Amino acid sequence: MNSRRKNLLGGILHDNIVLSGLMVISPVIICGDTLRNALALIYAFSAITFLSVLISSFVPKKLPYTAKVIIYALISAAVYIPVKLAAKEFYPDSIERIGIYYPLLAVNSLIVFQTEAKFFKMKKLDMMISLIFCIIGFDAVMLITGFLRELFAYGTINSKIVDVNTLINGLSQPFGGFIFLGLMCGVYRFIRSFVSKNDRQIRSEASVSDK
Amino acid sequence: MFLINDLITLLAANLILSQALGTSTIFIAAGSKKNLVGTACVITLFTTIGSAAAYFVDKALPSSVSDMRLLFYTIIIGILYILLLTIFYYVGRSYFEDFRKYIHVSAFNCAVMGTLFTINQRAAMDSSLFELGGYVSAGFEAGIGFIIAAIILTAAYRKLNSSKVPAAFRGFPAMLVYLGIISMAVYSLK
Amino acid sequence: MLKKARKERLIWLDIMITLLTLELMSYFYYGIRSVVLAGVCVCTAAIAEVISLRMMKRRFTADDLTCTSDAMILALMFPSVMDYKVAAIAVIFAVIVAKNIFGGRANMIFSPAAAAYVFVLTSWGHQLLQYTEPHVKTGVFDTPAALVNSASHTFNMTGNVDHTDFELLLGNFSGPSGAVSILLLVVAAAVLIFRRSISTGAFIGTICGVGFFACVTPMINSRAGSLKYSLVMNMVLFSAIYIVSDVRIAPKRNYYAFFYGLFIGVVSYVLVLTAAKENAIVIVSVLFTPIALGFKNLEKRIEKAASEHKESEDNDVTESVMSGKETATE
Repeated sequence: MNSRRKNLLGGILHDNIVLSGLMVISPVIICGDTLRNALALIYAFSAITFLSVLISSFVPKKLPYTAKVIIYALISAAVYIPVKLAAKEFYPDSIERIGIYYPLLAVNSLIVFQTEAKFFKMKKLDMMISLIFCIIGFDAVMLITGFLRELFAYGTINSKIVDVNTLINGLSQPFGGFIFLGLMCGVYRFIRSFVSKNDRQIRSEASVSDK
Repeated sequence: MFLINDLITLLAANLILSQALGTSTIFIAAGSKKNLVGTACVITLFTTIGSAAAYFVDKALPSSVSDMRLLFYTIIIGILYILLLTIFYYVGRSYFEDFRKYIHVSAFNCAVMGTLFTINQRAAMDSSLFELGGYVSAGFEAGIGFIIAAIILTAAYRKLNSSKVPAAFRGFPAMLVYLGIISMAVYSLK
Repeated sequence: MLKKARKERLIWLDIMITLLTLELMSYFYYGIRSVVLAGVCVCTAAIAEVISLRMMKRRFTADDLTCTSDAMILALMFPSVMDYKVAAIAVIFAVIVAKNIFGGRANMIFSPAAAAYVFVLTSWGHQLLQYTEPHVKTGVFDTPAALVNSASHTFNMTGNVDHTDFELLLGNFSGPSGAVSILLLVVAAAVLIFRRSISTGAFIGTICGVGFFACVTPMINSRAGSLKYSLVMNMVLFSAIYIVSDVRIAPKRNYYAFFYGLFIGVVSYVLVLTAAKENAIVIVSVLFTPIALGFKNLEKRIEKAASEHKESEDNDVTESVMSGKETATE
């Protein structure tokens, strides 16, 4: 039961696709410098990934691996078109800023490779729950990154000026994204090991008290 | 002197260090020399041939349906993917098992797709670049850039995975910070 | 092991003494502000080191005092009127991000001071490259007035240097607070080379690289002038001593260290010549870290091959001795 729960909900903390799997990191590094960009990316990633994986789950499993990978990529490329058209309505400014990273979201490894390795081995309902939590995991990282980088690089929150004395302009640059994401990965791992250590401790204490 | 300047320009235009394209792929490639050579060669093949094909797509595609570009690029990469697998299967069957994984890893990732979109973006801004030769050389340059970045990472790979590195930062987080600092130096040269 | 640790501490002591003399000169030209800046940097480095080591579950020992020399190097590369907050952030970056994340002094990849300098250059470049003239003393909490570009900047842009050789030797020209006292730097280099506290190969390589190119493709009409100013300006001498020749970063063997320094010297000179990049040597030294690591990997392989060869030779000798004994008993 526990491992099933972990499989389903792990996308947020235990198996976060960005911090643990290092998937879809280029948009986070380059475009995750403001909250607005982050929101636009969250919308695009969530919509494209959810719809693509859902549609891809109907592709016959008997097909050769290469054919399936190409079909998954084609499906997500097709899903990208209406998502982009809708985004032009909601986030017209961010689309330009995000540039080439918008279409790149459609060929992310979560859709192209993880579907085959993880999601399609599950039952449909389990797959959807797990997928939603994976997407929430990405969204959370994107939000935190966008918020902190915007605050310290530009001294604003969602384009509203905040009183920050010393701004670190470099954080808005790609290298700032690399370093920030590296630090965030380290902190995430530290928290994860701390949580699992505590869990183990609680479990061992419980087993002692059971005896 | 011109060689040094060209090298610096190549470094500054590096898609990994300046645009973080294909970062996860490079982490896999830097693991061993064999992986590095295999992945780098296949990615260079994909970017070079893919760019040539992308030129014809860009030429034929009207700007009113530019959102369809991704679909066409995916078709190009898909065809290339199948072609490469078929060629390797028939030409070098003894290497096929070894090489297959590199083709799988290299086909659909940000390094290849990002290169095609970057070249398209540059050509849209500067019409003098909108020619077959320009596309192919830009694709080849991107592949070389990937190789350079992979070599930079390989040099520090052992240190970044050493037991002396704190457990929380060992491996990927340390690699990200390392690439970040190198990218920072490249950025400050601009 | 004990000998190695003692040697490390002696190196730190040697470097610290030379840095303190440079700081003294900086005090002479820029007043108490430069001393306070160095103090802020050193204290921040020590605190950051203690906290980060604690988080890594390691104890702070005397060997970890190397963080203070990195902080001093950084302080001497800054203008004396640098914002304290920016200096503190830079030192924290040097100690935590450029050093301890990679395992600390036992597993150094970058020169912490160089990485932090580039970090400041990318975020506060304007503030970093604006200096007060020598003998203009700013109060500890005063806002700096009458900032000027460095003499290096003027030289890179126009090829002119409006200072006498004597002024250049004594560091009486605008620039980083501690990196311009050429005479002191020459003495420091000689002392540190004789004490083997810096990599001789890397130092000579850097000087040769810059010097050779300055003569072959001079920046100004006179080759002698080009050679002189190329070595004096853009923190070349300071970086050659404290950053490129850092024994923790440079390859161990002088032969490889020479080429490592040579590449840095040549590339940084070309950058100054073609792009007028101020203090390019610091950026290039960070950029060339993979080359140092590559040389170090090569050294390890050679050592391993040599020890294996020696082992096999020893085995052959023992085998031949044993067979000799056996034939004697027969």
